[in-house]
Amino acid sequence: MATLEVKDLSTSFRTDDGIVKAVSGVSFSLDAGQTLGVVGESGSGKSVTFLTVMGLVDPRSAQVGGSVLLDGEQMLGLDKDRMRQIRGARIGMIFQDPMTSLNPVKTIGWQLEEAVLIHQDVTRKEARRQAIEILKEVEIPRAEARVEQYPHQFSGGMRQRVMIAMALINNPEILIADEPTTALDVTTQAQILRLMNRLQEEHKMAIVMITHDLGVVAEVADDVIVMYGGKVVEQANVRDLFSGAEMPYTWGLLGSLPRLNSAGGRLEQIPGQPPSLLRPPSGCPFHPRCEYVMNACRTDLPELRVSQHGEEHFFRCHLDDETRSRVWTAKRAAMLSEDAA
Amino acid sequence: MADELLRVENLQKHFPVTRGIVFQKQVGSIKAVDGVDFTLTSGETLGVVGESGCGKSTMARCVARLLEPTGGKVTFDGQDITHLDRSAMRAVRRDMMMVFQDPYASLNPRKRVGSIVGEPLDVHDVGTANERKRRVQELLEIVGLNPEHYNRFPHEFSGGQRQRIGIARALAINPKLIICDEPVSALDVSVQAQILNLLKDLQADFGLTYIFIAHDLNVVRHISDRVMVMYLGRAVELGSRDDLYVEPKHPYTGALLSAVPIADPEAGRSRRPVVLEGDVPSPLNPPAACHFHPRCPRFADGTCNVETPTLRPVGQGSGHSAACHFPLEHWPMTDDEMRQGRGQAVVGAD
Repeated sequence: MATLEVKDLSTSFRTDDGIVKAVSGVSFSLDAGQTLGVVGESGSGKSVTFLTVMGLVDPRSAQVGGSVLLDGEQMLGLDKDRMRQIRGARIGMIFQDPMTSLNPVKTIGWQLEEAVLIHQDVTRKEARRQAIEILKEVEIPRAEARVEQYPHQFSGGMRQRVMIAMALINNPEILIADEPTTALDVTTQAQILRLMNRLQEEHKMAIVMITHDLGVVAEVADDVIVMYGGKVVEQANVRDLFSGAEMPYTWGLLGSLPRLNSAGGRLEQIPGQPPSLLRPPSGCPFHPRCEYVMNACRTDLPELRVSQHGEEHFFRCHLDDETRSRVWTAKRAAMLSEDAA
Repeated sequence: MADELLRVENLQKHFPVTRGIVFQKQVGSIKAVDGVDFTLTSGETLGVVGESGCGKSTMARCVARLLEPTGGKVTFDGQDITHLDRSAMRAVRRDMMMVFQDPYASLNPRKRVGSIVGEPLDVHDVGTANERKRRVQELLEIVGLNPEHYNRFPHEFSGGQRQRIGIARALAINPKLIICDEPVSALDVSVQAQILNLLKDLQADFGLTYIFIAHDLNVVRHISDRVMVMYLGRAVELGSRDDLYVEPKHPYTGALLSAVPIADPEAGRSRRPVVLEGDVPSPLNPPAACHFHPRCPRFADGTCNVETPTLRPVGQGSGHSAACHFPLEHWPMTDDEMRQGRGQAVVGAD
């Protein structure tokens, strides 16, 4: 049984301007030790999906549908107390900005101990011991001294390590990381990704890596979900996705990356802007920006269908198999020749 | 096209660190920019990369005289602008414009797009009101916006469109040099590609010269002709794009290049990146001699922490220089190979 099984999840928010369908019809499953990459632009619903999984959307304004099973137990609709027992203990989450996620007026040690004391029946002394131990595990030097310090005394990369430590201190089965390296420099990013990789091997936990960086996804993910306009538009094993992308939005994402080896030329650009969720386009959410748009795209949302490349590869597109494989083969050849140059 | 547009010599910006409230005394200084030299030829793009705090934005602001440099000399279009007064500087700024990172913070939310884009025309008193309006509409069209949006406010536009407004403003009075400070960092990938293509088109159409600051090495490679790598206020490597990316000579450049994730699962996982330990040290108290030595895999005791390396020619390419005692012999290099090279290479030719 999968550790986390999400089926047909949808989240919409009531706002003054109308109902915003932030997420609709998202399904995936996640096993222990596996990394799921979730890619999409701002407003694609990637963060809201996992805020919903964590029960962090405000029930007064949000309407949630579908099911979220953690080891077979339904998580949607759980009461506050039960949810609190799961959050932080069995699912940990880290956010993009480590500065705003830490309390500036409490010491690092106090904040780590808090996470322990909520979920375990231990003394403060034992909690302190665990805090120091986990700081050592995320490779923070002089952990005994640094637990007494405040967030502003840590650099950006160190703060993100503290966030990871806090998410892992209760040894969760799942770690949800929402753009964990976006605010960091490349060399720090490399350190953090390497750390997460090591911790995953040691703890056998499942990781969800939410990011807009296809480079990060290519390096760490096993499976990938591409989201657009609140919907999953493509879902595949990471190698299949990069070698056999099936739909025009994914092609555009891969083509618009400035590659280290592609200097000078023009980038492939996706025209226009990401869609408004308040007034989403009819039919396929990508059709207003798609260069292969047909009449059917304007009226009908394409179903998620199985790719010819493999059973585990799904995508939404009305284009026929022959056209898609012809277009992708040409695009892929262009990218590879750039890489080889 | 070989006209030299900009020459920067030994540029320094030291911010004083003071203690005390009434009787302030200086207790130190942050050397944000500590002796940077480069020249810029008309029509080319110089990319500047480095991690946060390396002084790349401060350097750009000093070049545009938005900050007063504490030392060095900036020559723009044959004129020494280092110590020009406000009114003389205003005339120079007609030829030197800036595009900023955050398209949300750099546009006045209470002004209409027409007056934002037209402001440089007002400041420099160009044309009549009617001509200005026509020029603004023309500019909006050039950057790919609808000229009818003249009367809208910035909040009615998306991030990418706002960045286009910022670019239109910078273009208003036909500058020679545009300094772009992280212009695409805040944008989504697909929109980022649009803006990069736009900047390239504008350069071809109007013969613009760019200083392009970014922390994303892929973006810098894509847009630049020459690239400068900065670390803690100093330039550590400078060279043509191809020389620097194909054969980096400074270990820091090598580490930066190998830390960039590759958007290809096969290639990305088979390589062994050089991962630097630790963080960038504080510019308040930078390491002695070569600032990079505490994190450098090639650190040689007695040389790197004693003698400050200067930028000197390396490799085959002309104009490729690096500030390192033990430049990399080849590329790519694994972590181990990098370490082995320490202390063995001959220290320069001098």
